[in-house]
Amino acid sequence: MEDFRETIRSYIAESILFSGKGFPYSDDVSFLENGIIDSMNIMEIVMFAEEKFGIQIRDEEIIPDNLDSVNRLAEFIVRKKEAELVKKQI
Amino acid sequence: MNTADFLFEKSADQDTALITGKGRFTYEDLRGACVQIAGELIKHGIHPGDRVGILGQNSLFWVASYLATLKLYAIAVPFATTLTPDEFNANFRFANCRLLCMDRKFLQRLNPFIPSDTALIFEDRLDWNGEKDWPSPIEPMDDHSDAALMFTSGTTARPRAVRITHQNIQANTKSIIEYLDLTSKDRIMAILPFYYCFGTSLLHTHLRVGGSIVISNTFTYPETVLDMMEATECSGFAGVPSTYQTLLRNSTFPIRKMKCLRKVQQAGGKLQEILIKELVDAVPNGEVFVMYGQTEATARLSYLPPALLETKLGSIGKGIPGVTLKVMGETGEEVAPGEVGEIVAWGDNISPGYLDDPEATAKKFIGGALHTTDLATVDEDSFIYVVDRKDDFIKSYGFRVSSQQIEACIVELPEVVTAAVIGEPDLVSGEAIKAFVVLKNGISLKSTDIIAHCTQRLARHMIPKEVIFIDHLPLNSNGKVMKTELRKMTVGGTNETRNLTKI
Repeated sequence: MEDFRETIRSYIAESILFSGKGFPYSDDVSFLENGIIDSMNIMEIVMFAEEKFGIQIRDEEIIPDNLDSVNRLAEFIVRKKEAELVKKQI
Repeated sequence: MNTADFLFEKSADQDTALITGKGRFTYEDLRGACVQIAGELIKHGIHPGDRVGILGQNSLFWVASYLATLKLYAIAVPFATTLTPDEFNANFRFANCRLLCMDRKFLQRLNPFIPSDTALIFEDRLDWNGEKDWPSPIEPMDDHSDAALMFTSGTTARPRAVRITHQNIQANTKSIIEYLDLTSKDRIMAILPFYYCFGTSLLHTHLRVGGSIVISNTFTYPETVLDMMEATECSGFAGVPSTYQTLLRNSTFPIRKMKCLRKVQQAGGKLQEILIKELVDAVPNGEVFVMYGQTEATARLSYLPPALLETKLGSIGKGIPGVTLKVMGETGEEVAPGEVGEIVAWGDNISPGYLDDPEATAKKFIGGALHTTDLATVDEDSFIYVVDRKDDFIKSYGFRVSSQQIEACIVELPEVVTAAVIGEPDLVSGEAIKAFVVLKNGISLKSTDIIAHCTQRLARHMIPKEVIFIDHLPLNSNGKVMKTELRKMTVGGTNETRNLTKI
């Protein structure tokens, strides 16, 4: 999962914050409260997660618990990937 | 009368005024917070006519700062929280505020641009000691004196602020309450920022009737707002077109079919007709009010009675009570049905003009009438239909083409969340039509799909030459599409590329 976190940090730093200096916050910091996420780029982040990690995110899953920090997003991706593995085995 | 007094006149102390993430506040709580902030303002030497800036998310502190300022006959100057440091700098210097009530979290980014002699009051200062009486004496001012300065997005680079008087606010508030039939039982979910006139109108109207306002700043995650609306049993909601595009195509709103919602307001631009229909379906117990207005008119100018949504779909209706709206042709006469002219408005809600800009004021406010620069037509029953903003017309193959019409056509596709169309200089057509399209999450379409769809429905000179898929449309602080930004954008790669390179 550390790989996921690093991928997420790099993506946000480069494509959302346009920072050459890497992700400047801790993994627990709320994206919403720090202006990292807003109504305009949230779908970019959703699509990044879907394309990069091969998962499908439903509308009702677009909630802070699943997306609102590096840690939450990484854990959400792990849960989704596990769920898809289980589906494939059934 | 004083607008703060006007807004508090009809409420009961123990009724709920605000519900925020921090809890429920009664009218007594709210007035107490206002009294405290008013005391702070006086301590910092604020006198009638002084300008008090407000910079923060919607909150008890925001509302208290605003109302306290109004009570003291000072002038409230709200600033958008989404301004870049440069934009804030320009606006703040333009408005020349003596004091700034602000959320502490913005200090780090904006401190370099706040003059050192500007007093600051932060939200953590809020700490009501139980004092119920307003500070006194307060020197009253005329109802025609400025109550607020509302910045507006113009096409020019320099800041533009609309002067809104006490009379403007009270007149527009009474009109809106009348046609929405608001009572103390009405509870609105306010996601629109209070620094935007549509957002402020929600605050004004619901306070005046003694109703309640639920504040959420998490619309980025629409499900959280929808959950809160259900939990607090909101009877009302208000949004701009991008709000409803998100709710109807990227959230569970359509399937929730919220029973508590009775009054849904839509303004701030044209919502495509197919989405209006989907909105009506999504609120089975509610009425949808399609409305139109401008900051220069305090907020609202017209509304379409919900019962007429079917027969007059696409219309913005007629003037609200107390407002006269006419569509005027170039000759200065009202246009005949089917002809295009400019919407001109008269009423007590019309601003006296722009701050420190007599030239722009003279162009927009002529003989007490507001020349909106919105082009429209009327039908046989005098219902008004906005055709386009003057600068949104595209000249393609000699035809004057409405970008809104093409956008509406593209949005008919259920895979499309929203679209914006611009014209680009082109040797063959004069202006080539370029469409920026945002697709639903997880869907992919080709530009040829979009073009094929348009070809079946639109005249040849209206078909987009180029379709570009993007993740989101650039929006300004009020949630309006910034076509000037779209014009600056170029795309790296093919029409299938999702990422946009800005220059």
